Amino acid sequence: MTPAIAAQSLTRTFEGGFTAVDHIDLAVEPGQFFGFLGPNGAGKSTTIKMLTGLLAPTAGTVSILGEDLVSNPIEVKRNIGVVPEGMALFGRLTASEYLNFVGRMYGLDKPTTRQRAEELLEFMGLANEQKKLITDFSHGMGKKLALAAAVIHNPKVLFLDEPFEGVDAIAAGTLKAMLQGMIARGATIFLTSHVLEIVERLCTHIAIIHRGHIVANGSLDELRAGVQARLAPDAGGGLRDKLTLEEIFLATVGSEAGVTNPEQELSWLK
Amino acid sequence: MAEVDNNIHRPAGERKPWTQDQTRAQFSAIANLRWRIFRNSLRRKGGMGDLVAMVIMVPLFGLMIIGPAVGAGVLAGYFVHQGEFQYLVIILWAIFLLAQLTSIQLGQPGTTFDPTQLIRFPLNFRGYAAVRVFFGLISPANAVTTLMSLCMAIGITVVEPRIWLYAFVTMGAYALVNIFFTRMLFIWVDRWLSTRRAREVFTALIFTFGMGAQYLNFAFNPGFHSGHKHAQALTATRLAAATGYYHRAEPLLALLPPGLTANSIVAAHAGHAGIFAAEVLGVLVFTALFFVIFAARLYKEFRGENLSDVANAVAKTPARKHVAATAIAPAAAPSSLHFSPPPTVAAVLAKEFLTLRRNTGIFYALVAPLIMVVLFANLKVGRVSADLLFASAVAYTLMGVAPLAYNSLGLEAAGIQFFFLAPVKMRDVFIAKNLMNVGLALVEIVAVFCAITFIGKPPSALIVLSVVLWAAFTMFVSLAIGNNRSVTSPKKVDIAKMAKNQTSQLNAFISIGVMLVAAGVGAAIYAIGHFLHRPWIMPPAALVLAAIGFFVYNYSLGTMDQLLADHRDTLSETLCKA
Repeated sequence: MTPAIAAQSLTRTFEGGFTAVDHIDLAVEPGQFFGFLGPNGAGKSTTIKMLTGLLAPTAGTVSILGEDLVSNPIEVKRNIGVVPEGMALFGRLTASEYLNFVGRMYGLDKPTTRQRAEELLEFMGLANEQKKLITDFSHGMGKKLALAAAVIHNPKVLFLDEPFEGVDAIAAGTLKAMLQGMIARGATIFLTSHVLEIVERLCTHIAIIHRGHIVANGSLDELRAGVQARLAPDAGGGLRDKLTLEEIFLATVGSEAGVTNPEQELSWLK
Repeated sequence: MAEVDNNIHRPAGERKPWTQDQTRAQFSAIANLRWRIFRNSLRRKGGMGDLVAMVIMVPLFGLMIIGPAVGAGVLAGYFVHQGEFQYLVIILWAIFLLAQLTSIQLGQPGTTFDPTQLIRFPLNFRGYAAVRVFFGLISPANAVTTLMSLCMAIGITVVEPRIWLYAFVTMGAYALVNIFFTRMLFIWVDRWLSTRRAREVFTALIFTFGMGAQYLNFAFNPGFHSGHKHAQALTATRLAAATGYYHRAEPLLALLPPGLTANSIVAAHAGHAGIFAAEVLGVLVFTALFFVIFAARLYKEFRGENLSDVANAVAKTPARKHVAATAIAPAAAPSSLHFSPPPTVAAVLAKEFLTLRRNTGIFYALVAPLIMVVLFANLKVGRVSADLLFASAVAYTLMGVAPLAYNSLGLEAAGIQFFFLAPVKMRDVFIAKNLMNVGLALVEIVAVFCAITFIGKPPSALIVLSVVLWAAFTMFVSLAIGNNRSVTSPKKVDIAKMAKNQTSQLNAFISIGVMLVAAGVGAAIYAIGHFLHRPWIMPPAALVLAAIGFFVYNYSLGTMDQLLADHRDTLSETLCKA
C-alpha cells in the first residue's frame, strides 16, 4: 500500500550549519492518526514545513499519496490541508472573505466555496463574527479559522501544527470530533501537539523527534513496550504496566532534553 | 466556465487534472484578496488618515514624474532633430538611475500581504512566478520607467515620424529591461538583507554611494562654484578627467541596455533595420537574463526557504550558567549625592541605546547630514557668515533626528506587550525614548558647531544660544506631536526589508510640516534680529519659544498613559502582527 506520507532521509540544515532535521525517515499509512512529538526546538515544525512544501529540504524526498512533492507540487498540495505553525491568516480579511479566498485557491467553484465557508463558520462557532477582521480575532478563534481553511477543500491528508493551542474546551471537543470523523472517512492526519493527553487519546501511531532524529516510532503500545523493556532492569519491578504517553515521552527524551531535577531550586527563591 | 473538480477526496485514479479555469480562478482570487485587504485596511484606526495622505501624495508624485517624463520626451526629440544621437544615452541612463532611486525611496510593489504565503496553495511555479510578476507591475519605479520611456518614444516620433514604430518598439523593450532589472535587484537585495551583518554591509555601501554622489555634485556642479575662478577651473579639470574616463568606458557602456537602445534609434534613423533588430535583441537578451535571475530567486521562494537570523541563532544555544546566590546584589539604594534617572527611564534608555547601536541605518542617517554640512561649509565658508551657516546646518541636521520620534514604537514589534504588562508608566517610557532623541540632536548640534568652527570660524555666542534654544523648541514640539503619532498611528518597522516606508505616510507628512513651520519661525526671529540690528532679541524670543515648547511637551507627556490605554488595540494589532 502506498503510504499517505513518506519521507526518506529528510534533512534540513540552516545557514550557519545548524541541522534541525537530520536524515529522518517517515511512513504514515492512509487512515492513520499520526502524532508527531518532540521537545521545543526538536524539529517538529521544520519537519511539517518540509512535508507540506513550505520549506525546502536540504536533502531527502517527500511524497504524499505517492506523488513527489518537488516534481508534482500541485497534485500534492490539492490533496493536503495544513494548519501551519503561525496559522498564516490574512489579518485584513474577515473570516468569510478568507475562507472564500482559500476555497478559490484550491480550485473550488464559487457556489461550492460559499456554501462550505458558511457551513464551516457555523460549525466552528464563527458565524456571528462575520464583520470582524481576522486581526481582531482571539488566538483560539484564529486556530479555528485556520482549521476551517485547512479542511474546506476536503483534503485526504491533514497536517496540523499545534491545532489545539489556545482553543477552549468546547471548541476542542468539536474539533476532535471533526478530526475523528475525517479519519473514519479514510483521511490521514499528521498532528503535532504539546498536549500529550490529546495525542494519547486521538493518535493511533506516534513518532518522537529529538534533536533532529526520530528516537521512537510506532503505536502507543509499541512505544510503551519499548520503554518498559529499556527501563525494567533499572526499575527493579517498580514500573507500572500502563505507562502514560507523558511518562513514555519523558523516559524517551526527558533526560537528554535538559529536564531539570524537580528537587533543584533556584537560589533566589529559597 | 468549465466544470470544476469540487470533490478532491477521491481515489487517485479518478482524480481530474488541474484545469486552466482553476488557475484563472486563483488569479482572480488573488486580485480580489488584494482589493479586500486594501479596502479593509481603511477600517482600522488611522486608515483614513493614510488614505488622505495617499490622495495628496499620489497626484504630487504624478506631477513629479510628469515633469521629468515630458523633459525626457522633449530632449529626445531635440537630440534626434539636431542629429546629436550620442546624447540619447544620457537620457536613457537617467531613466535607469531614476527608476532605482524611486525604488529605494518609494518602495517596491505594494505587498499588502506576504506573497510567499501563496506557496501552500496548489500553484505551480509558472503560476507563482506569473502572480509575482503581474501583481508587482504597479509600482512607482515602474511608473517612472514606463512613462519616461513612452515620452521618449513620443518625442522621437514627433520629430521623426517615419521611425515611430522603431521608437515605440525599442523604448518598450527598454522599459521592460528596466522593470525586470529593478525587480531582480530588489528581490536579491531582500534576500541578502535577511541577516543583520548583510544589512550593515549593505547600508554602508548605500551610505558610501550616497555620500560619493553628493561629493561629485558639490565638486562638479557649476552652481556651487559661481564667482570662484579657481574653483571653476578645478571643476573644468575634473569634468575633463571624468569625460576622459567616460570615453574610455564607452565601448563597454554601448553593450549595456541604455547604449543598445540609443544605438538602435541611430540604426532606425539610418534605415538599418538589421542592426536595429540586433540592438533590440540585445536589450531583450538582458531582459531575459534579468528575468532568469529574478526567477531563480522566486524558485527558491517557491520551494520554501527560511530567511532570518532566527534559524541561525538556534545553533548557538549558550551553555547554561549557574548563578550563585551571592552574584545577585540587592537593588542599589538611591543616592542623594548623584543625579540618576528613575530606574524605569534608565532601563528603557539603556535598551534604546542597545537598539541604536545595532541599527546601522539610524547611525548612517545621523552621520550623513554631518558629512553634508562639512562638504557644504567647505564651499560656502568665507562667503556666508558662520552664524547663518551654523543656524541652517543645525536646522538641516535636525531634519534627520526629529522624524525618528514619529514612530518611536515601530521597532518594538510584539515587544510592545511588555510595556502593557510591566508596572511602568508610559510617561517614563517615552521620556527615555525622547531623551535618546534629544541626546542625538545634541550630538548633532555639537558636531555641527565643531565642524563649522574647524572649517571657518566659530559662530557668535548669541547665535549659538539662540539656535540651541530654537532647537529645543523644535525638538519639544516634534516630540510632543511625535509621541502622540507613535501611539495613534504606529507602523511596524521591518529592518529586513529594503525600501519599505518605515513610518506612516501621514506621519512623514506631519514631521516635514512641523520642521518647516519651526524653521520658518526661526528664520523670522533671525530676520527680525538681523534687519532691525537688534540681535539681542533672538535669545529671549527663542527662550520664549523653548518654554512654550516645553510646556506643550510636558502636558503631552501627562496624557501618554491614557492615550496608550485608548489605543492599546491599535498598537497590538499593528505591531504584533507577523
